[in-house]
Amino acid sequence: MERRYTAFRYTAYALELLLLFILQTTPRLFPEIFGSKPLFLLPAALTISFLESEIPALFFGMAGGIMLDLGYSDNIGFFAFTLTVSCFFISLIFRDYFVVSFLNATAFTAIFSAGLIVIYYLFFHVFAGKGNSLFYFFEHYFSRITLTIIVGILLYYLNKFLFRSLRDH
Amino acid sequence: MKDFLNLKSVKVLIAVLAILTVISILGAMGNPWVSSAFNFLTKGLSSVTSNLTEGQKSYDELKAENEKLKSETADLRSQLVDYYDIKSENARLWKYYQLKKTNPDYELMPASVIRRDTNEEFYAFTIDAGSSTGISVLDPVLTENGVIGFVSSVNASSSKVTTILSPDFQAGAVDKKTNDSGVVSGSAIHGGDNCATFTKIDANSNVKKGDIVVTSGIGGIYPADLILGKVSEIKYDEYDATKYAVVRSYEDIKNVTDVVVLTDFKNKGEVKDKGAE
Repeated sequence: MERRYTAFRYTAYALELLLLFILQTTPRLFPEIFGSKPLFLLPAALTISFLESEIPALFFGMAGGIMLDLGYSDNIGFFAFTLTVSCFFISLIFRDYFVVSFLNATAFTAIFSAGLIVIYYLFFHVFAGKGNSLFYFFEHYFSRITLTIIVGILLYYLNKFLFRSLRDH
Repeated sequence: MKDFLNLKSVKVLIAVLAILTVISILGAMGNPWVSSAFNFLTKGLSSVTSNLTEGQKSYDELKAENEKLKSETADLRSQLVDYYDIKSENARLWKYYQLKKTNPDYELMPASVIRRDTNEEFYAFTIDAGSSTGISVLDPVLTENGVIGFVSSVNASSSKVTTILSPDFQAGAVDKKTNDSGVVSGSAIHGGDNCATFTKIDANSNVKKGDIVVTSGIGGIYPADLILGKVSEIKYDEYDATKYAVVRSYEDIKNVTDVVVLTDFKNKGEVKDKGAE
């Protein structure tokens, strides 16, 4: 019985990631807000890692990262690695040092989402020499980070609901 | 530290990272089998979802067609489905007929946009045609309104398109009216406004607002005389004061749904001497 609930929960997470991938990549499905759209998969994987132990967390981080990478390039890379490692360590940190609460979850989602997007921006825009970096950051990345954090709060409640509803009794 | 490294979960993490590294290296060496498999699996899903969001007009058309079909007899229904499929395809291809007619050497492959990623810069997108239909990297991507980008990567069933709004896009260009030459490239500042920049133009050039900018054909990647856009503004670089023109694409690149890939043309790959032109 216990394993059945866990399997249901993992299936629900997997479906959630797939649906968010569609939402993120389908043209015109989600409107641009202030010149950008949120990265749905990033906070989804992060919020799962708050609730799950480190091995499932790293696998959902890897799945979210691979989807993020393949959504716009032909190879896995930046997000597959960073999200796998981030989710693994977040899970460990939450297991030993933090209580899963709204404030903690929001703070970690904000720090990791903003951190990963800024690192991505540095590598793939600034260091890639695409020019007008500061302008582009405030025109597109700033709103992307803000929207991603807002979406992260909603996904935190969704994943918490899934975790509580499909928890082993 | 030693205890930490001996944890089962850390060993799993290291194994997963090793697998990701191998897949990533294979992909970088030109063997993106993971993305090919993933694209193959999600292509159908992406096509369905992108078709569902093709705008109100398309929905109304489909709805009207659907109502019309409902009024027909059961025998005619299947024939009508075939008929409308062909009609829709014809309407899509008709837009490129003129291009093909005036340039018989052009080999054109129509495709639909199936994916636009949130994280992608400069409105790059994925189309539903790949190397199996003859598309290769650097092929120009057009609509009936002119060049909108080039194929930046390709696998068997889909291709990624980098748009004219990206700084990665570079095309030799000519002002059709004044014959001034330069390079059209995307820019971070103007990309959000559906504009590229016409740079490396002479300080004494006569380029002015309203001029049409076309490809020069130098470089062998883009054939000559493909429309890139219309000059909307003349500006000077804030750092080195060089003159450049802002070129607005005739196509709404952020929302384009149907494109055509120019897979072959006369003199493809031949680098022309600028002086000779």
